[in-house]
Amino acid sequence: MLDDGRGDRQPARRVRDPAELAGIALRLRRKVIDLVAPTGQGYVQQGLGAADLFAVLYFAELRLDPADQDWVSRDRLLLSTAHNTAIFYATLAERGLVPTDAIADYCKDGSAFEVNASERVGTVIEATCGSLGQGLSVGIGMALAARRRQDGARVYVVLGDGELQEGQVWEAALLAGSLGLDNLCLLIDDNRMQVEGHVDAVVKLEPIAGKFASFGWAQEAVDGHDIPALLAALDRARTTPGRPSCLVVRTLPGKGVPALEGILAHNLKLPDDVAAMARKALAMESHP
Amino acid sequence: MTSATSQSLAVEDFNQRGAAAAPARKFYGETLLELARQDPRIVCLTADLTLSTETDLFRDALPGRFHQVGIAEANMIGLAGGMARSGEIPFVHSFCVFATRRCYDQIAMQVAYPNLPVKIVGVIPGLTTMLGVSHQAIDDVALMRALPNMTAIEPSGPAAVPAAVRAALAHDGPVYLRLKRADGTEAGIVAEEGALPLGRMRVLRTPGEGLLLACGMMVEASLAAAEILAAEGLTVGVADVPTLKPLDPAIAEIATGLRAVVTAENHSIIGGLGSAVAELLMEAGVRTGFRRVGVRDVFAEGGTTPYLFARYGLTAEAIAQAYRDARGGG
Repeated sequence: MLDDGRGDRQPARRVRDPAELAGIALRLRRKVIDLVAPTGQGYVQQGLGAADLFAVLYFAELRLDPADQDWVSRDRLLLSTAHNTAIFYATLAERGLVPTDAIADYCKDGSAFEVNASERVGTVIEATCGSLGQGLSVGIGMALAARRRQDGARVYVVLGDGELQEGQVWEAALLAGSLGLDNLCLLIDDNRMQVEGHVDAVVKLEPIAGKFASFGWAQEAVDGHDIPALLAALDRARTTPGRPSCLVVRTLPGKGVPALEGILAHNLKLPDDVAAMARKALAMESHP
Repeated sequence: MTSATSQSLAVEDFNQRGAAAAPARKFYGETLLELARQDPRIVCLTADLTLSTETDLFRDALPGRFHQVGIAEANMIGLAGGMARSGEIPFVHSFCVFATRRCYDQIAMQVAYPNLPVKIVGVIPGLTTMLGVSHQAIDDVALMRALPNMTAIEPSGPAAVPAAVRAALAHDGPVYLRLKRADGTEAGIVAEEGALPLGRMRVLRTPGEGLLLACGMMVEASLAAAEILAAEGLTVGVADVPTLKPLDPAIAEIATGLRAVVTAENHSIIGGLGSAVAELLMEAGVRTGFRRVGVRDVFAEGGTTPYLFARYGLTAEAIAQAYRDARGGG
């Protein structure tokens, strides 16, 4: 039980067991394939890669109330890489924040569940990002408002590593460090991938953690598929006073489907035979 | 000799030559502070232009709700979006050009699309600065008008600012407030009584054969133009149009049957008041002579306001001439 000033309210059970979280992540990976397959192409690699991170964030870390999504003291998560929706929607549905049957309309005309997440879905999409580089700024605004409310709410922002090429990110990073905003946690989905391929082939980013360190942030690199390590890093971020925290979460595109692992495809073709292969691989993967 | 301290020698504004006096009244800053004392949801953000935007009053009185974000307007808009989503009413401040064009996509996505109560407050409208083309906002109204959900207000002068700020706060949605501060050159300005109803023009002089429609600083110039024309036997009315979006649909009614309509604005002739009025009149089927006075699709340069207004045709005589052209002979 976390004593973070929000009293006894604990809207949902926190899953801290790594094996249980791994099981959730596996279900999320299967759902990523199911969501993208009807369209035949989509954000498969990022979704498979970030499944462990999303499972840990939504089932172990965030304080949310599916029955009261507007709860003012909830933790906020902003997915600044708003296109990574297959894993995002799969997670929201698994967590009970959106109806499971509604996300079956993913990417269909008229559906609120668009390729880029928009607030048409509801409050759980805390801001409409899509235009890269904006999520951290919005998160800072929310973190400042939470600091003023003194209700213990925390703000989590997920950025892609390629997104760090947007200048606004560094305006925001500079300010958050200057403000010592310790209710803010930035998670960089470090999958080394952007539209034109490997980030190093476009604009080199390293050292990412070192850049944030120089901006006054607590920072560390984490293996995005080591669930106990993710839990521990988030614990440290939550309890580090006086500084915002940045976790550089190394993820492997396509994680969990051996034939897809490491393939750098911002948008992956997912014809029926590949989807079937992926389903088979994910069904075979063993977990307790 | 003036003592040399950062307070005694710091220039608050850059609108005129020489040792500019501080404004006698900070109409904007005083009004914002008054409203903020009444409404705890109001927070104030500034991007290294606290004195120039009169938000020093807010900073000193309500420091816990004042946010200095540094020279980073795009980030400031994002912050404001996050704060508004958390139940606050952020007023963000910069020069007009940086408060709009510099952070346009951020305004579109984090303010306008979600229809949040963020109030974007710009000072230095149009050509009112010596700082040059980089600091001159000649397309800010066009940009803001193009955004769904956005309301754009330009009061006619410092005296009309308090009512404009109240109207901006009362509107539950995003607002762009385009302000010309008092800069110490004016004397004896008294805040206007009464409200500024959004989306309503204010007829200052009843139309005769024609009408001048103006916003901001061109309201005063239009009144002077009407005098010039009256001396020539041409009776024209003048209306102040402080809400540039939504435009008052009654403009179409008042313009019907008039010999000519002229718009005047301290802004490009493209996308601002002139464009808005033309769109309205065409779609309403109003047939009348028509001219736009404004910056004629050119970039300007730094200079004193009277010099620039004369050079770029933002004068009473230019408005009068536009009217003569619009009405034709006979």
